Amino acid sequence: MEQLTDAQCDALREMGNIGAAHAATVLSQMMNSNVEMSVPEIHLVDVSDLHSYIGDEVSAIVVFQITGDLGNGGFVVFQMPEPTARRMTAFVTGMQEGSPAFTDMDKSAILEIGNIMVSAFLDGTAGLLNILMLPSPPVFVMDMPHAAIETIISAQALDIDSVVIFRTELRSAEHEIHGNLLLLPNPLMLRDILNLLEKLIAPHV
Amino acid sequence: MIRTLTGRNTDVIGIGEYRISSTPMATIGLGSCIGLIIHDRDHGYGGLAHIMLPASNGRKDRPGKYADTAIGTLAEDLRVQGSSKNALAAKLVGGASMFPGFNGSLNIGERNIETVRAALAAERIRIAAEDVGGNVGRSVIYDPGEMGKISIRRADGTCTDM
Repeated sequence: MEQLTDAQCDALREMGNIGAAHAATVLSQMMNSNVEMSVPEIHLVDVSDLHSYIGDEVSAIVVFQITGDLGNGGFVVFQMPEPTARRMTAFVTGMQEGSPAFTDMDKSAILEIGNIMVSAFLDGTAGLLNILMLPSPPVFVMDMPHAAIETIISAQALDIDSVVIFRTELRSAEHEIHGNLLLLPNPLMLRDILNLLEKLIAPHV
Repeated sequence: MIRTLTGRNTDVIGIGEYRISSTPMATIGLGSCIGLIIHDRDHGYGGLAHIMLPASNGRKDRPGKYADTAIGTLAEDLRVQGSSKNALAAKLVGGASMFPGFNGSLNIGERNIETVRAALAAERIRIAAEDVGGNVGRSVIYDPGEMGKISIRRADGTCTDM
């Protein structure tokens, strides 16, 4: 993939918008508060410049592989900086914040929240494309986002030089929490998504 | 470019890039990738490569990206700058397995470590220090001016100089 056209970016952004709105809705229900969603960003990023978009601030990271009609090969990543993740799990589990370690209970709470949000995100996206997209069982790490994303893209079967990052930020002012939802389609899956979006738009032109 | 606590500018070497310099360089968030430093103690400069994959499979356009091309390229560039093999020493950071059990192909960190070690042995460059493997990400700053000191910060909160 050399570059994305403006129309392709718009289509991807619209798709992401719908998915992220679904995720924001379920997060808002779980947190029982307003959740704001940023305008989604679409970037085609050369791997050498990944660090300009993804940092090394230690975060709770939940990774899902996308399965279903488009086959394996894309990932959805839900990422929250560590302090935010602690506030969120304290609220959801009803436990006191401030235990020194991120406990197994904290971890399963984040996994569950991530699972529900990412399922909603993929539901919204797949509904638009009229296909089936399912998340794999999630994997949790408390680590640097750049290290996690780098490891994921290094493990792709293809030797890739650039990656499409779709990112939206979800924020609840009441609970002082914020996190990022990232979609990393691999080149084949991206091509399939763009084809489907094109068909979706074509009849109306 | 990042600004360190000392206020000096540090060039960030992105995935697949390499550079030879006498001023500080950094790689942030190494996962399965390797930050390879080859320091020249005589000249007070050195190279840093952010290696992503073990094998180039014949690709020549991004020599810093692969273990089987990065070491030879750095060694040659250092030689051209006047380095002698005896003055060179390598340090390796990264190669973590962050997602054990996610699926087999994700264990690229281990293969990166092995290939980098083998390539250094083939170039007869000695390894002075390693912080590799394990399952956490690392950020590294290399300061050629400080006798080639590297400072490592790990995702678990621990820090080491070596």
